[in-house]
Amino acid sequence: MGKRQKLIPALVFGTLVLTLANVLAQTTTPPPQTFSATVYLDYRFYLSSAGPITLKPTDPTGAYLSNQFIFRRAYFTYENKINDNLKFRFRLDADNTANVTGVALTGTPVTGTSLSKDDKLRPFVKNLYFEWSNFLIENQTFKVGMEETLTFTLSEARWGYRSVAKTLLDGYKDITGVDINASSADIGASLQGSATKYIRYGVQVVNGAGYAHLENDQYKKFSGQLHFIPVSGFSVVGYIDYSRQLPKTSYPLETAPAAMTYKLDSYFEMVKNLVLGGEWFVYKNDLNQTASFVKYNVSGWSVFGRYGLIQDKLNAFARYDSYIPNGQNRLKDMSLTILGLDWAPLHSSLKFQPNIWFYQYKHGTQYKATATSNSDVAFNMTFFLSF
Amino acid sequence: MKKTLIMALAIIGLMAAFTTAAPAKKMIQIKGSDTLVNLVQVLAEEYMSKNPGTAIAILGGGSGTGITGLINQTCDIADHSREWKKKEIDQAWEKGVSPRFFIIAVDGLSIVVHEKNPIAKLTMAQVGAMYRGEVKNWKMLGAYDKPVSLYGRQSNSGTYTFMQEFVLGNKNFSADVKEMNGNAQIIESVLQDEGAVGYVGVGYLYDKDGKIRKGLKVLNISKPPDGEAFAPTDKAAIDSGKYPISRPLFQATNGKPNADITAFIAWETGPEGQAIVEREGFFAISSAHKAQNDKNLK
Repeated sequence: MGKRQKLIPALVFGTLVLTLANVLAQTTTPPPQTFSATVYLDYRFYLSSAGPITLKPTDPTGAYLSNQFIFRRAYFTYENKINDNLKFRFRLDADNTANVTGVALTGTPVTGTSLSKDDKLRPFVKNLYFEWSNFLIENQTFKVGMEETLTFTLSEARWGYRSVAKTLLDGYKDITGVDINASSADIGASLQGSATKYIRYGVQVVNGAGYAHLENDQYKKFSGQLHFIPVSGFSVVGYIDYSRQLPKTSYPLETAPAAMTYKLDSYFEMVKNLVLGGEWFVYKNDLNQTASFVKYNVSGWSVFGRYGLIQDKLNAFARYDSYIPNGQNRLKDMSLTILGLDWAPLHSSLKFQPNIWFYQYKHGTQYKATATSNSDVAFNMTFFLSF
Repeated sequence: MKKTLIMALAIIGLMAAFTTAAPAKKMIQIKGSDTLVNLVQVLAEEYMSKNPGTAIAILGGGSGTGITGLINQTCDIADHSREWKKKEIDQAWEKGVSPRFFIIAVDGLSIVVHEKNPIAKLTMAQVGAMYRGEVKNWKMLGAYDKPVSLYGRQSNSGTYTFMQEFVLGNKNFSADVKEMNGNAQIIESVLQDEGAVGYVGVGYLYDKDGKIRKGLKVLNISKPPDGEAFAPTDKAAIDSGKYPISRPLFQATNGKPNADITAFIAWETGPEGQAIVEREGFFAISSAHKAQNDKNLK
């Protein structure tokens, strides 16, 4: 590295430190600290019994999860506002998938392996970041730490029912089993702001390993977003991300493989109490190849809407997702339709959200070989609690 | 499977019917400024008594809460004691919300101390210096030898923002400011603390008999260091702009308000409503404000 190359990061770092020191040197209000929790609890009931998800086992001794209570998420958030421009956020998330991995026990006198695993609702760190508002210019925010990715923050806010379902990209792996390297949080830094009331922007660099893993290679994931609002209540958002992948010996021709996501969202909020949204994306990964080394794309689109029937009390929502998990094998195409209500009879901190999920598969056997139907239907009674 | 599908849809349909069948009385939801909450509560009660069948619910929480509520369409009217920030205007644009503003009262933001405090007046610069933490003892201002105890509001308060912008010169508040939930709490604290200074809306100075609350001293304020100081209770000084920290108090709606909201705002800003504004200790709006309000209601 030349002298000039060394000087640039030093100057950038120096400027940041001086600006931060200046901000911190200002006298400040005592840090307002807030604690909050949000919980999603479901009672799930299968309304079909022959599809890939709801297939009833033929073995009468086999477990059949045709109805169950399940905590899908429990968040605990602590925020500490240092002054009008600086704050910290620490969020614990908990879900049932956080199993304890088998741990090798070695040494004298202990030998062997503990394979104890369970499905306890177990917390993990989801957010741990520092946020600096009005960074360098007005309405520009800098964040560093384990923060939300740019990927689906906007669409999730418009959809508004994370308690019922993740948005298209966020839930893609859960629905199709295909990993598209899209995480809701990751470790890195971001800069977001608004140039004018018509244009917002965001850039981010993160490890690319998500919140569940440490950095596992030398590459970073870069993402950028432009949000246009040409008329009040109508938004178009373009998003792109890029990350280099580690080459694999099984794909000898891919010496510098990379993965990219292109995404286009649009939101319509011009009619009172009505929000409509649409999302379309394509994920390309040089390592996504068929057995005959033909590359394929993963893609999907989603449209959703919610309407306030009674202010603060009752909303209705609907969504349709189309999934194409393998552009070279369209037999795997599937769709998901969600219909539901959001009812807060007493207070906004307690909501009842009955909802139905209709899965439609082009060929159900692509998802479960023994499935005899191309559809699954499940009813959820979702309880949303926040305090 | 068709049967189960129909059953499930029927469950959701029944729930919807049940909930929508609940009393469908249209309620006007108002959220926001703590400075305005008592005044708007009184206005609403009076209006409802004169207009049976009208329902108005008022919540405080601060100007920021009200503005966010209007942007997210969780209320019909936002009460706010400060102008909207650029960020809030941008958010409203993004969410398809077009705020219309109405001035419903005028406030003389009042600087209050304990009655035993010998000081009678301060300059704007001195108030700003105190709240920035640069004046630690009343002796530095020619009063008695007591440490200054600062009482103020939380950052979601419009009064906090107004003070910061117009009195503190956009500098941060001292870390020693005790952040209170509302005007009433500031008054109670000042009454208990001989070293205290607080800032409150003028409507909070009075007791139920319309007199300045016992134990409280309201300071006169001057803008230039050697200028004449005026009281926030002096209507002529407020109208002429001689009292330096007066401000309009606003309500905002999303676009042209519907007939019910229009009727309420027109009443608030009309003679009956303004008489209540004055009775509650605030100041009536000017004819220019009224003309602008009427224009915005159309």
